[in-house]
Amino acid sequence: MSATGTRMGEEAGKSVASKPQLHVLLLEGDSADRELILRELAKGEFEITSDVVQTAEEFRQRIRDQPPDVVLSDYNLGQWRGTEALEILREEGLDIPLILVSGALGDVTAVECIKQGVTDYVLKDSLARLSVALRGALKDKKSREERQRAQESLAQKVEELARSNRDLEQFAYVASHDLQEPLRMVAAYTQLLGERYRGKLDDQADKYINYAVDGAERMQSLIHDLLAFSRVGRQETELKNTDCNEVVGAALKDLQAAISESGAVVEREPLPWLKANESQLKQVFQNLLGNALKFRGAQAPVIHISAQRQGADWIFSVADNGIGISTENLESVFIIFNRLHTRTEYPGNGIGLAICKKIIERHGGSIEALPGADGGTILRFALPAGRPADIQESA
Amino acid sequence: MTTTLAEILLVEDNPADRDLTIDALAHRHWPSNISAVSDGAEALAFLRREGKYAAATRPNLVLLDLNLPRKDGRAVLADVKSDPALRRIPVVIFSTSQAPLDIERCYELKANSYVSKPSTLRDWMAAVKVVNEFWLGCACLPREEEQ
Amino acid sequence: MNSIGTDILLAEESPEEAEVTIRALRREDMTPNIFVARDGEQALDFIFCRSKFAARSSDRPPKLILLDLKLPRVNGLEVLKQLKDDPRTRAIPAVILTSSQEEGALVRSYDLGANSYIQKPIDFEQFGRTMRTVGFYWMVINQLPSANQARKSAGQGGS
Repeated sequence: MSATGTRMGEEAGKSVASKPQLHVLLLEGDSADRELILRELAKGEFEITSDVVQTAEEFRQRIRDQPPDVVLSDYNLGQWRGTEALEILREEGLDIPLILVSGALGDVTAVECIKQGVTDYVLKDSLARLSVALRGALKDKKSREERQRAQESLAQKVEELARSNRDLEQFAYVASHDLQEPLRMVAAYTQLLGERYRGKLDDQADKYINYAVDGAERMQSLIHDLLAFSRVGRQETELKNTDCNEVVGAALKDLQAAISESGAVVEREPLPWLKANESQLKQVFQNLLGNALKFRGAQAPVIHISAQRQGADWIFSVADNGIGISTENLESVFIIFNRLHTRTEYPGNGIGLAICKKIIERHGGSIEALPGADGGTILRFALPAGRPADIQESA
Repeated sequence: MTTTLAEILLVEDNPADRDLTIDALAHRHWPSNISAVSDGAEALAFLRREGKYAAATRPNLVLLDLNLPRKDGRAVLADVKSDPALRRIPVVIFSTSQAPLDIERCYELKANSYVSKPSTLRDWMAAVKVVNEFWLGCACLPREEEQ
Repeated sequence: MNSIGTDILLAEESPEEAEVTIRALRREDMTPNIFVARDGEQALDFIFCRSKFAARSSDRPPKLILLDLKLPRVNGLEVLKQLKDDPRTRAIPAVILTSSQEEGALVRSYDLGANSYIQKPIDFEQFGRTMRTVGFYWMVINQLPSANQARKSAGQGGS
């Protein structure tokens, strides 16, 4: 006789000594065997409620209506097999352990069943193993569920972070873009005021005007840089086969005036082709080379550009003989608007390296600053080399 | 090079920018007569000499902002360049936007040139100076009867 | 402004005038890559990456075209017409640079979509000064359309 599939009342949870509950669905044609199994289960560590079905349709219906914690099934069910129950469980998308409780089962068949997804099998003449098998099956299920929950939680957090990032970038872009126009008005007209009235009012007025003009100009400069920084995130980083030599050449061309003025010497080693966004890569070199020229020492700048293959990456290096970066600042130089010197010493808002970092990281690479051999700085960045078949090297 | 005084139509809704441009053009080598309107609909009415603009002189050059009330600058551009009576007039876009898409779109709509409004006073003055030097000093602009 | 690739296509029959133009376009802070086409057919082949220029990547059309009207083989107006008719290339600014005093050339050029029209000064010095202003205006003050956008917005373009 089968008990109806009703769960026990609430009292089960109250007493510490009471057993954990388990709802079992039994697929067993033979009533005597059923009895044996149920009696064995009652001896075990669980408070069992059970249900019995015989046909596949009954089974499917029952697992829909009231999914059990575990299915105990005979291998041979007359019209059908215990392993087919597995299929039905899968079709219904239910992760319920199925334990075969069977008469003699050849080793080969047993292994086959396990391969198909049966959690365990217990021989009818060693039913004492049933408890152990149940415990094992439920433990496995629990850890599977935990792992899945952790993965879902992680995926959700990643999505939230990505969305938050996008919002932030959008905001930075819109804010800096919309701020430009009113800022321009303030800057231009304070300057016009200055031109018109400087020396015509009193010293105090001149001072006020100068402070206003200075402040407006700095605001403009910051907004301009912020816009440049957030633009990197907005554009599609379209990667194309790029000749890095050409990119460096173009960057050097733009810096020609500064190079001649400082008497700088630029040494270039051959650079590879790889997949990159040409204009962004040019920006990177422009910033790095511009820095090398700006933060020069007393001697004429000497800049060395090279690249070395390392595993799946190309490691680029821009080395200079300038004033160098102290060890404690090597990481923070990449932070936006972080400046290591006063404005009177060196101009700029401190965004060049932040932009480089952003661009390089969007290319799937990384960048770092190192002290140079003789006091200068080495800027090193890695970019994925890509598959040789993808990159064509044509003259 | 135009031998008579060049007529420029400035379409700009921001009075501060408008004054700045007019100021910048006033002190230039190649003088011009500047008419200013502050929205897109007015711009077209002026060009077509409609209503209160019946007696207006047809400009030799149009400086056109993009973000205008009533009728957006791009729509004005499209209308001008598809109107057989107006399409020869060079239209120089003078806008805050530096977005490549905006620039591209304007050239597709047959803008003659696109100048981004510089953010500093000095650059603004310099840009307007060169606009003046090029369009009024170097280029030949279609005259009224040729339009 | 991306300076990789050809920046300016100069379609000019006279080598002397081409020389002056090129020199005037090059300053210390501005050295555009200039290709000189000696006749209209060469200019068109260059623009559309055809014939001798079939190896040119249509990814990088010239950013600016300086076009004399008096060109052998195919005249300037015809080059202008084809340039402005084709959706792949019509956004490229084309500045007519001519010594032609021909009536109606001005009107015809603007009609065909020329971005600007310049009468070459006869005086040599003045010519140099004019070209410097031309270079400075179109390459620095003016914003040129970016090559990639031109291709994308035209779709695959007809041919």
